[in-house]
This record gives sequence, structure tokens and C-alpha cells, in this order.
Amino acid sequence: MNSERISSWILKGYLVLIFLFVFAPIIASVVFSFNSQRFPTIPLGSFSLEWYEKIFNDADIWTAARTSVIVAICTSILSTCIGFATAYTDYRYQFRFKGVFLALALLPPTVPLIILALAMLAWFSKIGISGQISSIIFAHTVLCTPFAMAIIRLRLSQMDENLEAAAWNLGASQWATMRTVIIPFTRPAIIASLCLTAAVSFDEFAVAWFVSGLNKTIPVVILEIVQGNIDPQVNAIGTLVFVISMTLVIIAQVLIMTSQKRDSIN
Amino acid sequence: MSDTLVEFRQVVKRFDDFVAVKSLNLSIAEGEFVALMGPSGCGKTTTLRMLAGLEKPTSGEIILNGRVMNDVSASERDTPMVWQSLALFPFLNARENVEFGLKMKGVDAPERRKRAIHWLERLDMGEFIERPVNQLSGGQRQRVALARSLVIEPKILLLDEPLSALDAHLVIRMQGVLSKLQKELGITFVYVTHSQSEAFAMADRVVIMGNGDVAQVGTSREIYRSPANKFVAQFVGRNNILGGSVSSIDGDLALFDTECGQFALRIPEGKTFQLGQLINISIAADRLRLQQHSDSAPKNKPMDTGTNQVDCTLISEEFVGAVVTLFFETKDGTELMVQVQERELDQLKVSQDTLYTLSWAADSAHLLSD
Amino acid sequence: MSQTDTAIRKSKSSQRLYALTWRLPIIVWQVLFFVGPLLFLIAMSFFLVKNYRMHEAFEMVNWQKMFSRDYFRDSYFFTLGLAIGATVLCSVIAFPAAFALSFKVSANTRRWALFFLIIPFFTSYLVRTFSWYVILAESGVVNSLLQFIGLGPFTMLNTVFGTMVGYLTLTLPLVIVLQTFSMSQIDKSYIEAAYNLGCGRIRTITSVIIPLAKTGLVIGAVFCFILAFGDFVSPYYLGGSKPPTLSILIIDTTKSGQQWPRAAVVAIVMMLTLFTVAFASIAYAYRKRQR
Repeated sequence: MNSERISSWILKGYLVLIFLFVFAPIIASVVFSFNSQRFPTIPLGSFSLEWYEKIFNDADIWTAARTSVIVAICTSILSTCIGFATAYTDYRYQFRFKGVFLALALLPPTVPLIILALAMLAWFSKIGISGQISSIIFAHTVLCTPFAMAIIRLRLSQMDENLEAAAWNLGASQWATMRTVIIPFTRPAIIASLCLTAAVSFDEFAVAWFVSGLNKTIPVVILEIVQGNIDPQVNAIGTLVFVISMTLVIIAQVLIMTSQKRDSIN
Repeated sequence: MSDTLVEFRQVVKRFDDFVAVKSLNLSIAEGEFVALMGPSGCGKTTTLRMLAGLEKPTSGEIILNGRVMNDVSASERDTPMVWQSLALFPFLNARENVEFGLKMKGVDAPERRKRAIHWLERLDMGEFIERPVNQLSGGQRQRVALARSLVIEPKILLLDEPLSALDAHLVIRMQGVLSKLQKELGITFVYVTHSQSEAFAMADRVVIMGNGDVAQVGTSREIYRSPANKFVAQFVGRNNILGGSVSSIDGDLALFDTECGQFALRIPEGKTFQLGQLINISIAADRLRLQQHSDSAPKNKPMDTGTNQVDCTLISEEFVGAVVTLFFETKDGTELMVQVQERELDQLKVSQDTLYTLSWAADSAHLLSD
Repeated sequence: MSQTDTAIRKSKSSQRLYALTWRLPIIVWQVLFFVGPLLFLIAMSFFLVKNYRMHEAFEMVNWQKMFSRDYFRDSYFFTLGLAIGATVLCSVIAFPAAFALSFKVSANTRRWALFFLIIPFFTSYLVRTFSWYVILAESGVVNSLLQFIGLGPFTMLNTVFGTMVGYLTLTLPLVIVLQTFSMSQIDKSYIEAAYNLGCGRIRTITSVIIPLAKTGLVIGAVFCFILAFGDFVSPYYLGGSKPPTLSILIIDTTKSGQQWPRAAVVAIVMMLTLFTVAFASIAYAYRKRQR
């Protein structure tokens, strides 16, 4: 029994180490962003907002931020709409080739980003839509839709299987049922999906780098700065990026968890 | 009774290879309380869902109010349903749930509100009008579900095992509420259940279904006292079923041989038996008389006395309230059950190592059709 | 009669319209922006490049060129080796953590741990890698700390070690989450039964838990392989791109020299490898489970 206790404590300690490893780069980046040293190390230098001032005064970063926000918002709306439609189809209908249909919807995350980036760059040039903000949005929507679909499908599977029929039974048409039952029921998942897909789009760099042309997003700017030299600006931008995407991911997760809990009383 | 409201004409429902309903013929009158009862998978819920337009019959016709409904969509039927899971809208409060059907019919907001509140109050839910449904108890949610269906003032209400999720004491209470409501409103209730106590307590007519077929239609009493066939006798329970072949006929009495002895049966009017014919009978458990076996008693001759006897030993007892069911076994292993009042039991002093004699009159046995 | 007929036809076509409204968007979108690009990628691998311009053609020249180059073959096996290494390393490191989360902590702790593991998966991998770059540098945080106890400095950047740290940053949270999902679903009574039958703790893990959680473990490993095999950030910034991995090769070939068709050859070879590995592993995971 005693050895059981010891092994249990060793495993818990191991778990702590794993979490340290996972969060170390995030914490380090935040700490370094407020550090005066050009090349941060231990012992730390003094507290400084130098890097933040630098990025706030950089017009290129403001432009990139604007592009990133536009792309993230459009992508999240598009991918959530398409993801919703696909999740609902999977929930509601049985049809031939449904396997192919689902594969089409869910495969993109299994293809390495760099390959998608190359394929999309070439294809977009071919059909004449490359190098625009819209090309990044089209590409990011492909990447984000599977996440949107998964979140909304999960929510639909928590729905009483008779809820839709109950609405028809009370005189609601299919469209009215969609508006008054399905969408209200899945609302937390829809918002979660908007947040999560915005975060994915906001952080994506490989495809954006290839297809964006001159319309760089924030991650593309980071990529280019990093290629040049060690520049602590990256920590400052990175910290802001972390704050934004972590907030979005946390909102998404909290929405998913609480909506699950609320129904379980039901 | 009165005019026919619903008619099923040779309705068949097939799901791929599985036949859920085989050629159903059934008519339901206006203002009638009909229960569809049977074990799970017997087709009762499918029948109800076809009536609501949630399943389409494979063949046959469903007629409601004189109109063939096969191609009418669920949302155009006015056949509201109370679901087993209740299927209340979790994102709406009690009143909004009740208003739903009216909203879909385009009734304006003040009128909707008035009617929803009226129905909630009528069902004793006046205090909980604005309560989110997930903060209501099981019985309260049941009432919201009822109000939601009744507020649209339908001619027919469909109920799919609505009480199965409730505690036993609430079931009895809701049975009272439902029966009273149905009488007051005078509308048709079609009630699907697997529980005979619910069906027998409330329904004017009970339809027993098995394997997609109607096994028997009748009042509670008819089904209980004269089950049409072996399936019904077994499903209703508390019936002893004996099978054997006719060995002699004398006037209106027939003698038949079973594995546990020779018994007499009064031949029902209009029936004729042939020697050697195989028959099944059922004897309700409360029609058997129990006494201690006595060696001195003369050997019983069923054809002379019109009474049947069989010796057996006790194997187990089951108490439900004041009624006790005793399970016996004859020498050859046939099981028989006897229902007695609990207070009678003390006088009998039953024990497992005593030999008993069970007896019943030749005319208390009931002939089954198969 | 005809009136009801048209009403029925109308309701049927409205049903169909409703169904198509939800079914079509993904089909249209993925054909335009996912299947289209991938098919074009295949076609492009047969195109020709003359004077820095691509010409549509059907020639095997790109395939022949790439397959006759030693650096392509070296890069292929190097990338494959790295990805397999990362998969094994990540699965092995993740397992005790997932085991602890599944069996040694309360359900509530598990929920929060998964909550925090999912966050980094969706937060900038690029910045996290850069952060490692600073931490692992010759005069970075790790070496400064080691100096206090009189060790180092160690060269960790531009080594396979650096690459692996980057890969783990990318894959470890996901793999722990997937492993925990499958392990926490194991019925605890199986484990108790195994103890009860005198199965030692290690034997219980190898002969009860691992077989029961196999599907989740394999899927975790497959995702780890896909991510590591396709990643270019870690091998480039932390591994020093010596030799370049296949993804770096794609970038170099595309960005300098406009040799898109040759990059397409590399991409297709990568895809074929990934599909082979993924299908084989998943078939393996499910076949064993059904027995």
C-alpha cells in the first residue's frame, strides 16, 4: 500500500513537470516581454515597456493587426456557418456517401499546413484570387471548419432526440424549428465555435505566409522578424497574441463546459 | 360511442428488414381514452408516431377527422404529443414552452401569454410560470408538457409513456390528473404504455400489441378476465396457462390431459371440440383455491364435480401491498401461481415443506384462442 | 386530387431544399478550396518551369529530377526519422501523465487539467518556439541555471535535441489529451479485477490498460506523427535546418527559384507517406480491438 502512495506522488510530481514544460515557453515569453535585456537570461534585467512601445509605434504591425482581425472575424463567421450546416446534416440525415461527405469535412487538419499552403498558393494563383485578404480567409475557413463542426456536433448530440420532432409536432415548419429550437439550443456552441476558430485563424502562420502576398497577418510578421534576428519585440507581440488567443480559447471552453452542466440537471 | 376520429386501415410500417407494424386496423372514437399497451418493440410507439406524422406508413392509410393523413406533414396535423422524455425546450421557461405552439400558429403575443398562463394555472402551475424548465421537478415538468400540448386546443392528444420517468407516488397522482382532464375536455387521448396498471386505470379501451400485431382490443375488464390468447394472458400476467389435448367430452364439459393432470373445462357457447384437439386455457391467479393436502379426502373426479384439483408444493412468495402471490410447483415441474389477500395467509400458515392442493371450478378457466 | 398532389410535391421539394441548404455549403467550399488545391498540386507536379514561369504540361521531369537527387532522399529519411523519434518520445513521455490524469486524480482535477492542456494547443506555436529559442540558447535561461551548479554550457540549439523540444511543444498537450480520453474511459473494475487476480502493477499496465486504451494511444501517436512530419518551425529554428526537412525543402523550393512543381513532388511524397502511416496504424488499432 505504501509503495502505491509513493508511486502516486511520483506520478503527480511528473504531471507538474509536464505542465511546467508545456507552459514554460508561454510564461517565459510574457516575462521576457517586460525585460530590458535585448537577450534575456537569468538573472533578469530590469522591468521595461520598451518592446511594447516599439511595437505600438510600428505602423507595419498595426496594419498586420488590422489584417489579422479582419481575417479572424470573417473566417470565424464563415467556418462557423459551414461547420454548423455540416454538423446539422450529420446529426439529422442518413444518406449514401455520408462517409465521403464526413471525410471531406474532417480531413483538412490531417494534411500538413505547409502542403496545404503550397497547394492553395498554386491553386489561388491559377484561379486568380491569390495575394488578397480574401485568399487568407478562404484558406483559413478550410482549416477552421472541422473545429467548428466538431464543437457544434458535440452540442447537437446533447440535444434530446425528440426536441426537433416536438417542435414539428406543435406546428413549427422545418425552417421555424431551425430558428426557434436548433439555433437557440446550439447557441453556446456557436459562440464557442466563433471564438475557437477566430483563435485558430489568428495564430495560423504557414498558410497565411504563403497565400497572403503583401497582406501580412501578425503571425506572418512574427515569422519574418524571427527569420532575421533575435528581437525581443517578438515576445511583446507574442504576449499580446497569447492574451487574445487564450482568452478566446478559454471563453470557448467555458461555454462548452457550462452548457453541458446546465443540461445535465435537465 | 360517438363518431370515429382516427382510423388505421391496414397500416404497415417497415424499417429496412424489420416490420414494426403489420397490417394494423383500428378505429378510435371522438372523446375516447385508448391505451396502446405491449412490451417494448411491439410497435405501439411506431403506431403513435405514425399518427403524429413523425413516421410515414409503408402502406395503408391513416385517417384523422375524415382526412387521409399519409402525406400531411407533422407540423400541419394538430396532433400534439406528450413525450416520454417530455422534450421541453430547455432554453425557454415554463410559459414560453407553453406558448410555443401558439406562436407557430401566429397567435399574437398578449393572447399567447393569456392562454399559456390560463393553462398553467389550470394545471396548478400558477406559481412557476416564469421558471426555467430545468429548475422544475419531474411532476411539474410533466404538467408543463401537458399544458404545452393542450394550449393549442387539439381534438386529440398523444401520450408516449409520459409517466415512465416519474416516482411511483407521482404516477398515481398524474394518472388522476390525466383521467380528470380527459373527461373534462372530452377530447381523445391515445396513450402508449407498457404498464398495465396505467392502462387499466385510465383507458376506456385497451389495445394490446405484440410483434407489430394487435393481440386484443377491449376494456380493462375484458382483457383481464378473458384474455384472447396466450400472448395476452402472459403479458397481462397473474394468469396460469395450461395446455393439453381433449380426451373426452360430456355435455358441456370437456376433459383434457395436461402434463400435470386431467382437468375439466366448461365448453364456451358456440364452440365445439374434437377428441385429441390441442387447447390452451388460462386461470386467473385469484381464481385458484388453496388448501392443505389431505390423504383422507376422496379422489376428485373433475367431470363429476366440475372442480379441478392438483397437488403441489410452495416455491416462493411475492408481496405487493395487501396481495400476496404464491408460486407453486407440481410434481412434473409445472408452475402455478395463486393470489390471496395478505390477511388470509395467516390462517393458511403456508410453509415450503407442506403438500397443498389447488382447486378451481371448471367454468372459471378461460379458453385461449391459440 | 391534383390540388393535394401539388401541395405534396411542394412540401417534398421544400424538404429537399431544406436538406440541401445544410448539405451543400461544405461540399462547395471544400471542392473549391480543399480538394481543388490538392488535385491541382498533383497536376502541378507534372508542369514545367521555363524562365521562372510555370507552363502547364504533362512531363515526368520533376519526379525524375527529385528522385535522382541525394539531398531529397537524405532529407526524406531524416524527416521520417525525426517524426518517428518524436512520436515515440512524445507517446512515452505523455503516457505517465495521461495515466496519472486517468487514475490518480479526481474527475474534477482531470477536467481542469484537460482544460489547461487544450489552451496551448490553440495558442501561437510560433511564439512558443521562439521562446524556446531564447530559453535554450548558449547564454539562455537553462544554461545560466546550469552554471549555478557548475555545469554546461550545453549546445542545445541547432541540434536534434532542440528539434525534439519544439516537436514536443507542438504535440505533447494534444497527445496527453487523446491518451487521457481513452484511458479514463476504461472501466475501473477491469483494473481491480487484474489486481485481484494477482497481476502486478506494471503487468496490469502492459496487459490490461494498454490493450484497452490502444485506439486512443494509436490515434495520439498518429496525430503526433502527422504534426511532426509536416512541421517546419522546430527543425528550422531550433534544429538549425541541417539537413533541411521535407517541409523546409518545400519552402526553399517554393520561395526561392519558383520551382513550384518540384515542391509539389515533395508535398505529394509527404502526403503518400502520411496516408500510408495513418491508414496502417488506424487499421491496426481497430483490428486488434475487434478481436
